[in-house]
Amino acid sequence: MPASERSVTIKIREAAWLATFQDLGREQSEALGVPCGGAADQHSASVANILVGNPRNATGIEIMGGRFSFTTARPLLISVTGAPADVTVNGSKVQMWEPVCVPAKGRVVIANAHGGMRNYLAISGTLVTEHFMGSAAPEARMGFPQQISVGQHLDLVTAYAGFEHPYLTQPLFRLPVPVPSFDHPVWSIDIVEGPHTDAAHGIRELLAAREYTVTAKSNHVGLRLDGPVVHPEGLGEIVSHGVPIGAFEIPHGDELIILGRYRTLTAGYPIVAFATKASLPMLGQARPGQRMRFRWVGQEEAVESQHESQRRLSLLESRVQSLFGAIDLPHHSRPVAAQEAA
Amino acid sequence: MSTYPAPGQLIPASAIPDIKAVPFGDSALMVSIASGTVEERQTGSRKLREILLEVRPHGLLDVVAGIDSVLVEFDCLAVSHGQLAQTIRLAAASRSFEGTGPSQTGKHFVIPIVINEAFAPDLRDVAEELGISKEAVLRHLEASELTINLLASAMAPMMGRVEFPGQVSRCKEPRTNVDPGSVMVAGTNAIIQPFPGPTGWKVIGRTPLTICDIREDPPTSFKPGDTVQFKVVPESEWKRLEGRFLRTDSYTTKEVH
Repeated sequence: MPASERSVTIKIREAAWLATFQDLGREQSEALGVPCGGAADQHSASVANILVGNPRNATGIEIMGGRFSFTTARPLLISVTGAPADVTVNGSKVQMWEPVCVPAKGRVVIANAHGGMRNYLAISGTLVTEHFMGSAAPEARMGFPQQISVGQHLDLVTAYAGFEHPYLTQPLFRLPVPVPSFDHPVWSIDIVEGPHTDAAHGIRELLAAREYTVTAKSNHVGLRLDGPVVHPEGLGEIVSHGVPIGAFEIPHGDELIILGRYRTLTAGYPIVAFATKASLPMLGQARPGQRMRFRWVGQEEAVESQHESQRRLSLLESRVQSLFGAIDLPHHSRPVAAQEAA
Repeated sequence: MSTYPAPGQLIPASAIPDIKAVPFGDSALMVSIASGTVEERQTGSRKLREILLEVRPHGLLDVVAGIDSVLVEFDCLAVSHGQLAQTIRLAAASRSFEGTGPSQTGKHFVIPIVINEAFAPDLRDVAEELGISKEAVLRHLEASELTINLLASAMAPMMGRVEFPGQVSRCKEPRTNVDPGSVMVAGTNAIIQPFPGPTGWKVIGRTPLTICDIREDPPTSFKPGDTVQFKVVPESEWKRLEGRFLRTDSYTTKEVH
């Protein structure tokens, strides 16, 4: 450990319904039959890390439902993103989607998430955890649950040593943070056509016009939605083949399945649409009861949206880098103190 | 069996596989061999996957093997559907031209299986569907030299071809949970369940060996292209073999008791 880094223990006091170590998932694992997994809302997970100066794919914590709280003896730089929630540091409300300074002997509570499913907590530094195929993301089925429980002590290695502001307990940073809106009761999700769109006569019109509701049968494998569907005709048996995240499948029953990051890699159901890459983070936030509408777009528009969302992340990343450089906060792209000292 | 000629030999254009590439969303292509017999298309897609993993075209993120297809996932900001499809066709054509053939000689595994009522709940069904005895089903399974075509969900080895006299159908109602080690068949394919989970395949035996363990590196000792032979062993062997990690030498009959 470089001299500038220190080891900090984070004590978990409340562990939500489910809290796990999480990152952006496995790379090149699907060729071996292991789903990529990773944060269901990759946008929120990335922003949380960027806001504390970490690489986007650093290990953070994914939190679902209930209350999550922890205490720390030493100062921490954290950020909380995802579904709107109440976040407090030593009882004072702090902003989500911003870097937050936690003082020594601090207690952080994340509670009352609403409008979405998941919160992401990033902490400046490196959370110590095991990896499977290069990632901290859970793979529960294969015996890698990564769940965080009450009383657990997490080890963090960080170069953050506290940040004093003369007038405010929390500094004002004014960063260009792309915060998704969770306000509208009916979400709009962009989709492109699938291999069996034409075989399911009328599905194009239905998906364009009608409203669909996420049901309680949904899980990390896929969202299940209530709403009108038509079954494709004349397809014969579909042999097992790989399916991308966001595929809209129509199973034998009258429902719609939108596959998530822990999908089974081969499936034999007809595919009538795909969510665009840029709309996957919102799908990763959908709870049972969430209503949504779909909007058909072409491939070019889909790629353009993805380009725009990545451009915003890159812009944020460069602003954080120059800001943290100016005020001497640690940033992964410039591990300063250690190297300058050497 | 390879469709690739010897090194240095020119091949007719017709031998270059006719590759079909269909967009699967904004960041994936479904790639398959457009013509040929079922076997040729299956072999061809396995070869395609090997080429892709070796060449790693710009923008490629991951590949997912299907029975007769390969899903190619890519970064849509780095490359377009059309560009990637073209790269894949070029790579496949040049590999055919060089006559690479099957890339390496695979390993061979002998996998012991135990048969009883609890481990083989669908054996009777399979026998009835094929119109042969239960013993004959197992003889056909043991006599088949199987090739691992792909690693399916949770690294399950999917193998072909079992020398059954016909096709085995899937369960009408998929089981919600099947124990690890279960040896299952559907069509003329076989698969081993590495972890507990749901399946619609028919369960006809169980191996005492552990076929996937995430504490091992790599978690499986087999790869696509390796070969497998099942060997029915008496139930008394279960205890001796239970939990052993599957390697080429995990099962030997020579072992002194």
